[in-house]
Amino acid sequence: MSDSSPTVLLVDDDAAVRKALSRVLREEGWHVEVFESAEAFLVRADHVADGCLVLDVTMPGLDGLELQQRLIQTGKAMPIVFVTGYGDIPMTVRALKAGASDFLTKPVEAEALLRAVRAAIEQGASVRRARAATAKLRQRYDGLTPREREVLTLLVTGALNKQVAATLGVVEQTIKFHRAQIMERMEAKTVAELMHIAARLEIGTPSEPPAQSQH
Amino acid sequence: MPVATANADATDPPGVLILHSYARALPSGIVVENTLRKIIPDGFNAPASVYSEYLDVEWLATQPRYAAQEAELLNNKYRERNVRVVVASGNYALQFVTNFRDRMLAGLPVVHLLVDKDSLERTALPGYVGKPIDLDPTPTLHLALRLHPDAKRLVIVLGGNSTPRDRLWERLTRLAVSRLEAGVDVEFLTGLPIPEIRRRLGAFPRGTIVFTAGYSPDPEGVSPRHSVERMAEASAVPIYSQFDSYLGTGVVGGYVTPFEQLASDAGAMVVQLLKGATRSSQIASGPLKQVPMVDWRQIRRWHIDEKLLPPDTIVKFREPSAWERYGLEISILAAILLLQVGLITALLMGRRSRRQTAAALGESQRQLSLAAAAARLSAWTWDTSENEHGSASRRRRRANGEKTTSIRFEEVLGSVHAGDRENLRRAARRALRTGDDLDVEYRVVLADGAVRWVAARGRPEGGDSRRLFGIALDVTERKTAELRAAEDRNALRHMSRVSMMGQLSAAIAHQLYQPLAAILGNAETAQKMLRRSELDVVELEDICKDIVSEDRRATEVIRRLSDLYKRDRLETKPIDINQLVTETLDLLRTELIVRHVDPRKEFAASLRAVDGDPVQLQQVVLNLVLNAADAMAEANGDRRVTVRTEARGNDVRLCVIDNGPGSAENKLDTVFDPFWTTKSGGMGMGLAVCRAIVAAHGGTITASNNPEGGATFCVNLPIREMT
Repeated sequence: MSDSSPTVLLVDDDAAVRKALSRVLREEGWHVEVFESAEAFLVRADHVADGCLVLDVTMPGLDGLELQQRLIQTGKAMPIVFVTGYGDIPMTVRALKAGASDFLTKPVEAEALLRAVRAAIEQGASVRRARAATAKLRQRYDGLTPREREVLTLLVTGALNKQVAATLGVVEQTIKFHRAQIMERMEAKTVAELMHIAARLEIGTPSEPPAQSQH
Repeated sequence: MPVATANADATDPPGVLILHSYARALPSGIVVENTLRKIIPDGFNAPASVYSEYLDVEWLATQPRYAAQEAELLNNKYRERNVRVVVASGNYALQFVTNFRDRMLAGLPVVHLLVDKDSLERTALPGYVGKPIDLDPTPTLHLALRLHPDAKRLVIVLGGNSTPRDRLWERLTRLAVSRLEAGVDVEFLTGLPIPEIRRRLGAFPRGTIVFTAGYSPDPEGVSPRHSVERMAEASAVPIYSQFDSYLGTGVVGGYVTPFEQLASDAGAMVVQLLKGATRSSQIASGPLKQVPMVDWRQIRRWHIDEKLLPPDTIVKFREPSAWERYGLEISILAAILLLQVGLITALLMGRRSRRQTAAALGESQRQLSLAAAAARLSAWTWDTSENEHGSASRRRRRANGEKTTSIRFEEVLGSVHAGDRENLRRAARRALRTGDDLDVEYRVVLADGAVRWVAARGRPEGGDSRRLFGIALDVTERKTAELRAAEDRNALRHMSRVSMMGQLSAAIAHQLYQPLAAILGNAETAQKMLRRSELDVVELEDICKDIVSEDRRATEVIRRLSDLYKRDRLETKPIDINQLVTETLDLLRTELIVRHVDPRKEFAASLRAVDGDPVQLQQVVLNLVLNAADAMAEANGDRRVTVRTEARGNDVRLCVIDNGPGSAENKLDTVFDPFWTTKSGGMGMGLAVCRAIVAAHGGTITASNNPEGGATFCVNLPIREMT
């Protein structure tokens, strides 16, 4: 995954502003795509993995805050830098609470815009990296046998091999074997690392019991 | 204690910061704002800056964290601005000031107003001055019972205890009722939704009277005044309430605290503090007395005996009777009539002696001219004949012993102000031609250059088609008052426009930020490009072209704005209505986007120009479009406002059509009345101002409901006369 030439998607209903801001962004070496409305964005924008959205708030039809909500609801959330000439505190609070990366007011200094876009792209990238790492772990976990998953869940609660064996009605030697298998498949070098991975996958927490999440 | 002014910039004029409790300008807030902004500069007699901030208590109450931030923000914003006095308007603003006394503009004297006695005791700190208001409902309840001696039941209508304001009124009214020594049943209705309370009010039997303090402002935008108005609309029985600003909503009245008085007292205190008075010791501040105030139309409506009103009652909205309006004229005519009767009697009695008669006649005439002089009244006969024949007939009449005071009409015209001469000549000709009464007002220039207004009434002398007789009355005082009233109306128009522009300021700033953002982005990119070794001349040229055109766009926004802020000076020029509407909709672009309203234009292809003042006509369009947007504020689905123009005979017609809920049929006649409003934020002047402006342009304005829903406002303006 490379951050060398990310794409910035720019949505503003004002043609002159669109042209000027895209100049600022292009000058920085980014690839820029412009949209004249939120609706046009929804129709035409490809889901760009490594980009960020520079979004005007006050637009006819769907406004910027509504577009932000729409993206969250459809699972297409991406880092957003809002740029508005019509901002007040409640509006800013709303946008930031919903996860906006920054909220700038027009006229915006080139440096401030570039800094915000850079931060948003970095934020997106780190979210993606974390997500990718978790996905890899999840994949490994899915490769475990049902029995191994059962054992792992019990180990996560802090139970000793002996206690796990008693719970499952097998001999301790069997559990030791399962544990070694689990560590190998999960690519964990130590038990502590295995516990860390389990926590990241939320195994053993009541909110997401892994046994059920697999169906 | 650190004093905020210590680090203030000495070059800034001394400043005053007004903190309003509510985010929206409630009617009371508008009175406070306008009065203070007038009184402070007048009284201080030197440059002073008045800043206003609206605290939005409803929101802050739910966000305690932001209250502290708000305080810090205000402190940062005004610390450097040489603010000397803080004005807290309303309980909540004062509470806010007290809560952050040590963090926000610490140490400055605080003037409070619209704060009740109980709240003041809880929140006041040293260094606060102001006249608390007395909210005790007892005098109002007594007034209600006094005006309705037959009342059997008193119903108290209050909001639902969900706000401090509701709790305060519940406490105050319960206490007042417990002290009431009257044989009426008392019933409390608290917290009912407005539609329900309207239903109940409509069903109350005679003999019931109602007291209400209104509902607290709610997030949906219903102000206390509006809640009271909604109640009064539906009520079958009289309603009493004790707020100045509720008069006119349909309530009878009550003992009110005059807001304007309150605000001007507070303004005087601010001035004293600005002039260097050292805090409370030098400033008088007792509670302000409540005064009885009633709406005359309601007194009539409920058949209340006027004699029962306390002698010091202020009666509002009284329609002047003929006597009140024309008292002076009537008494003069009565006096003359009496003198005439006296004269005739004297003549009859004096038949015995010619000498006696002559003496009586002389005396009467002397008295008559004396009375006339006192009343600035004169009798005249004008002779409009211009040839020798006329003079001959005059001589013949004189020879016949006829005593005549006839003067040549041309001589009359000679002393008439040049601007009114033609008008008078035309009126005289018309009267002579048709035989109708002459009724005309004109200016006369006296020998010393002074100008007096004269009203003349007369009719043709029987049998002579060239002579008119009648009376002339000096109406300079009345005319001056009328002109002053016209000036006031002008000021009101201006004020209503400026307050509207205030509401629009955020949206208009946005329109200015767009080109500025484009200019900044372009210029900064150009700077960066110029640092490179290879210049992209084509791109740089395009950037410069964009900067120039965006600069023009910004200038255009500012020009239109400053036009609208201009003080009224009626200037008439030919106006293309289509262009005027286009410019107005451009100005409103952002505001309409924010309100999710879709503006549409349906223009006649070519329209004749109308004569008018562009700023005022633009105000009419602004008002009508915003009014339409307001009407649709609660509508779900499409919100469309269509502006249609068309030629109609000798008129240009401009219609603003919305698809909101429309207006109740019986209200369509009243929408143009001053103070008619269904909005919480509005002053209710918008449509009244529209009507006044349109009338001044010789046009008409009408309101109607559309068959498919929504309302239509149409303005007809006469097209420009070709001369």
